[in-house]
Amino acid sequence: MSRLLRISLAAIAVSVALPVYAQTVTITTAGGDYGNAIKEAMWAPAAKELGYDVREETQSDGLAALKMQVTSGAVSTDIIHLGSPEGAQAAAQSLLEPLDYKIIDPKSVPAGAKSDYCYPFDSYGTVMSWNTKTYGENPPKTWAEFWDVAKFPGRRALRANAQDLIEIALLSDGVAPADVYSVLSTPEGLARAIKRLEAIKPNVSVWWTSGAQSAQLLKDGEADLVVTWNGRAQTVKADGGTVDYTFKGSVIGTDCLAVPKGAPNKEAAMKLIAAMTQPARVAKLTDFIAYGPVNPAGYEGGLIPQDRLKTLATAPENAGTSVFSNADWWLKNGEAAQRAFDEMTNR
Amino acid sequence: MTIAADPALAADARSERRFFLALSLPALFIVGLAAILPILWIIRQSFLTTGGQYTVGNYEKVLSSGLTWSALVTTVELSFGTLAFCILLGTPLALALASARPRVANLLMAFVMLPLWTSILVRTYGWLVLLRRDGLINAALTGSGLTTEPLPLVYNFTGTLIGMVHYMLPLFLLPVYAAMRDIDANLVRASASMGATLGQTIRTVILPLSAGGIFSGSIIVFIYTIGFFITPAVLGGGKVNPLSIRIERTLSTFQDWGSASVLGILLLILMALIGVMFLAARRLMARNNVGTVHA
Repeated sequence: MSRLLRISLAAIAVSVALPVYAQTVTITTAGGDYGNAIKEAMWAPAAKELGYDVREETQSDGLAALKMQVTSGAVSTDIIHLGSPEGAQAAAQSLLEPLDYKIIDPKSVPAGAKSDYCYPFDSYGTVMSWNTKTYGENPPKTWAEFWDVAKFPGRRALRANAQDLIEIALLSDGVAPADVYSVLSTPEGLARAIKRLEAIKPNVSVWWTSGAQSAQLLKDGEADLVVTWNGRAQTVKADGGTVDYTFKGSVIGTDCLAVPKGAPNKEAAMKLIAAMTQPARVAKLTDFIAYGPVNPAGYEGGLIPQDRLKTLATAPENAGTSVFSNADWWLKNGEAAQRAFDEMTNR
Repeated sequence: MTIAADPALAADARSERRFFLALSLPALFIVGLAAILPILWIIRQSFLTTGGQYTVGNYEKVLSSGLTWSALVTTVELSFGTLAFCILLGTPLALALASARPRVANLLMAFVMLPLWTSILVRTYGWLVLLRRDGLINAALTGSGLTTEPLPLVYNFTGTLIGMVHYMLPLFLLPVYAAMRDIDANLVRASASMGATLGQTIRTVILPLSAGGIFSGSIIVFIYTIGFFITPAVLGGGKVNPLSIRIERTLSTFQDWGSASVLGILLLILMALIGVMFLAARRLMARNNVGTVHA
């Protein structure tokens, strides 16, 4: 009897003591299919390797949640998943801890995409997609043709956000991909882009607000030409939708991982970021969603099957005609651009 | 002998009042905590810069922007549009329900209430299925040859209004139905026996006696619709942008809590103005009615 008691006491003691030794880290992602992909491919195996107990929270608007947590002094998450422009905004508002590049390998990010605060790990393209029932074998091939409503009649759906559309508007107006931000940085550059968007406005049937909505519009045939993210277009296409898309002229954006200022487990968070973004893991992410690695090593050694490469925005053969979204430009001009855009759609 | 004349009874009444006041304290506490404190916080927030300094810059920025005023106009248009359709559709329906036999009325009422138990998101997306370009309604219209091209029923003001009227109609109907059901049937009979036509009876007896219900219903419609977000966001296609959407935009795209708070206060002022307008109209109408009865 007393032996049984002692054993069970010991068992209770062990089970109480164990969680104390396991390092706990909380990660916040956008949830949904994407959040699940990040879990399965990236943090779950990394947590197992490090012996961490990782908790997941989901937030559709990461930046708003981050700001809420940091300004209220109740930071509950150690790692937060943001779009790179949001990452730059958050860094400018001092909401983030600087990344510890002694723990994270600085050589894993190409120079153009590097950030001191938010580690870019995957990329996506904002692409042109169309209904193959409407256009058959002869869809628009460039943004200039997307704007040509006489040659390609049909209902357009664009995102209700200036991001990427400003760049696309300039591409459609004959600006070379390499010159987009130098044109935008001139006083009349933004006005030129807005004017171009206003020209297509009568043919825009929906200004969409969520990626899921853009996929639905494409799938239902509610719109014939949709500007959306390649992952969304690819999903609709793979589900048997009469849909195709092109990476020609796409605007490439990256998503990144950051540590909120005052995060409870800062060092463990840095270690988890380093472990979950190993080349094999960011390559594995493409098993779930067509968002390609930012780390060039992800493309090496056949980590990603050959036939999948053409579905990734940053794959070497897709990147030639694209524009890399410039987080710094958006940080400086985002509010003015968005305001001008909103005024255009409300006119 | 009056209560005031008897000190013992007066003391009793006083302690009773104190007791009732004490009973209401928890509710008052919750209202204070859950409603008034956040409003005070929003007011404070509206005077702060992103860095936390006091400023009136947020007000200047929001009030000088054309976007604010067009959002305000859209908000009012949506609310009044919804109210107009609720009155047009809901009042006859309430009349029909009130004059039906109780069993039939209960059954019809269940149908009216059914949508209330469904989540607003589900209902809104349901309308999307019905109203979209190759949706059920357009398929029926083009299939029967009534129209050659699908009508633009959704992703615009029309679709938003349809969704909002559908959501608000049961909530408008309830108080109107209650008021009409409480009308003494003898009054209607008396009016008929004195030679009034049905139209005259409705105009001179039923509508004045149910005005209170119509007012309550209208106020409910306003309180709900003025802050409506989901329906315009889903059915408006980015073209219908009331203040609620402007607030969300200001928060999520600009992270500008100060300006968003100013917009919230604007919404509060709009609500208060409309509330005062309603009360004034009601008092005016009540006075006129009393006048006609005595004349």
